[in-house]
Parts: sequence; structure tokens; C-alpha cells
Amino acid sequence: MKDKHIIEILDNASIARLSEIELNEVQLHARDCASCRDAYEAARLSELVIKSRAQVTIEPSPFFQTRVLAALREQQAVESVPAMVRLWNSARALVASMAVTTAALAVLSFVLPAPAVAGDDQTVSAYSAESVILGQGSDELSYEQVLSTIYAEEDEAR
Amino acid sequence: MRRYSPRVFSVASRFFRQRSLVEEAAQEVFLKAYTQLGSFEGRGSFEGWLTRIATNTCLNMLRSSKRRPEFTVSDLTDDEESWLEQQPAGDGREHASVENSLVAADLADRLLAVLPPEDQQALLMIDGEEASIKEVAEVTGWSESKVKVRAFRARRKLREAMEKLLNHKERP
Repeated sequence: MKDKHIIEILDNASIARLSEIELNEVQLHARDCASCRDAYEAARLSELVIKSRAQVTIEPSPFFQTRVLAALREQQAVESVPAMVRLWNSARALVASMAVTTAALAVLSFVLPAPAVAGDDQTVSAYSAESVILGQGSDELSYEQVLSTIYAEEDEAR
Repeated sequence: MRRYSPRVFSVASRFFRQRSLVEEAAQEVFLKAYTQLGSFEGRGSFEGWLTRIATNTCLNMLRSSKRRPEFTVSDLTDDEESWLEQQPAGDGREHASVENSLVAADLADRLLAVLPPEDQQALLMIDGEEASIKEVAEVTGWSESKVKVRAFRARRKLREAMEKLLNHKERP
């Protein structure tokens, strides 16, 4: 043991758990080996600070119990409301705004009269003389329709 | 709650030093215990079951908090530096005096911050509270070999950090 480095022993277990024989051997080796002496000293101090840290316990404040009970009641109150009601509560605003928008669109579409479109009169006589003669009309016209359109335009010109 | 508060606070104090954090953790433990009461099968002790909830809750809280940067010798306070200087060479089985234990605890906190929360937990229980490997395994739900590995790793890291501090102190 005297010739073997002790660093692994120090990392394997706390110094407090070493047997008397093991501890003597570790100290004996540390006396002659500088690196192991540093390691032993560091391990000893580390253990001391850890022990001090473990002794620190924070006691509950006088209001702790009241606070936990209040939090518990709040949690119970949330849980006691049915899931659908909770869903409705959170989605209520969204659903209401959607309903208002739909109603407004319905009023605009069905209740209010459609605005008059300029140039409606011109659509009544859908065929101009040129379109008829040049064959640009979309529909097939009868001979009478062609003649009446031509004569009507001549009458208007007169 | 009054009956089990000391146990829950003792576990939470192992993880946190600030009263607000300890109380926050303890409150969460009791709320969880209340909601999960149905899952307690009565096979072990109620206190053991509660301790396990407390340990997991605190570990989760610690994991979600930001890790502190690596501890350096310049971070040492005057009190911590003089505490280190005052420690006489001993056989490793002595305890810090009451007035010095808070300084030592502060130093421990700062050194422990470089370790992962699980390693801190293992080291504090085994070396600090002298719990057995089996006890730590029961409380955390880890295997015994995992506990051993964590404790070994934590002990080595802490020793190395302390060695670095002592070397810096001797060679300013």
C-alpha cells in the first residue's frame, strides 16, 4: 500500500468510511507522496464542506401550511369545474367574435339591397351592329334578329 | 402535512439554500402528493414515498434552473478563504465548528454547482448524511451501481476542484 497511489481509494469512498487500518495506510502513503498528499488534503476538506452543507436545513415558515392549503383549495376548485365548462370559459371570447362576424356578413349579403351598377342599360342591347356583322357575338343569331338590329341602329342615327 | 414537513424540508434543503426555493419545492411536493395519493400502494412507508416525490421534484427544479459557470479561485469570499486557511491538518473525521459551518456550506454550494444535480444529490446523501448506497437507490429510483458511479464521479470532481483552489491559494 505504501508504494501504491491512494487517489482511487479517496474517490471510492469518503474518508469517514475508511477503516482505521485503511486510514493509517493512506496517511502513511500521503506522508511520502506529494501528489497523494494534496489529493488527501483536498478530499478531507471536500468532505468537511459537504458535511457542513448537509447539516443546513431550512425550517418551514409559520405561513407555509396556510399557503399550501390555499394552493390546494385553488387546485381543487379548478378540478371541480367540468372539462367542457373549462373549455367553454377559455374559448368563449373566440366563439362570440366568430358569431358576430358571421351575423354581420349575413346582414350584408341578404338584408341590405345590392348597389346599382353603372352601365346596366347598355347590357340590355347586348348586340352591336359591328359585333353582329363581324360575327363577334357569342350566340348564334337568327336572320330576323340581324335585320332588326341593323334597322334599329339606322333609325337611331336618323 | 405538519407531520411530514420536516422530512420534505430536509430533502428540499439538500438541493436549495434559499428559503423561497425550499418552500416552493416543498409546496409542489405536497400538491403532487395530494393529487397522486391514489398511486400510493402502501407497500413501503408513506414517508419513503413522499421522500421519493420530494427528491424527484427537487431534481427537476434543479435541472430546469440554469447551471452556474465553473467555480474559480477568484470567486472565493474572504470568509471562505480564511476558512480554508484555518483548517488544521486532521484525520478527515472532524466536523466544522458551528460558526464556521455556514461558511463551509456556502463554499460547498459553490463547489457543488459544477456537478450535475444527480451527482450533487448522491454525494450529499452518501458523504454528507452518511446514507448507504441502498438508501440512495431507494430514494432516487436509480440502480445501486448507478449510485456508486455517480458518487465516485462527484467525489473526484469535487476533490479536483478543491485541489485547484488550494493550489491557487498557495501560489497566488
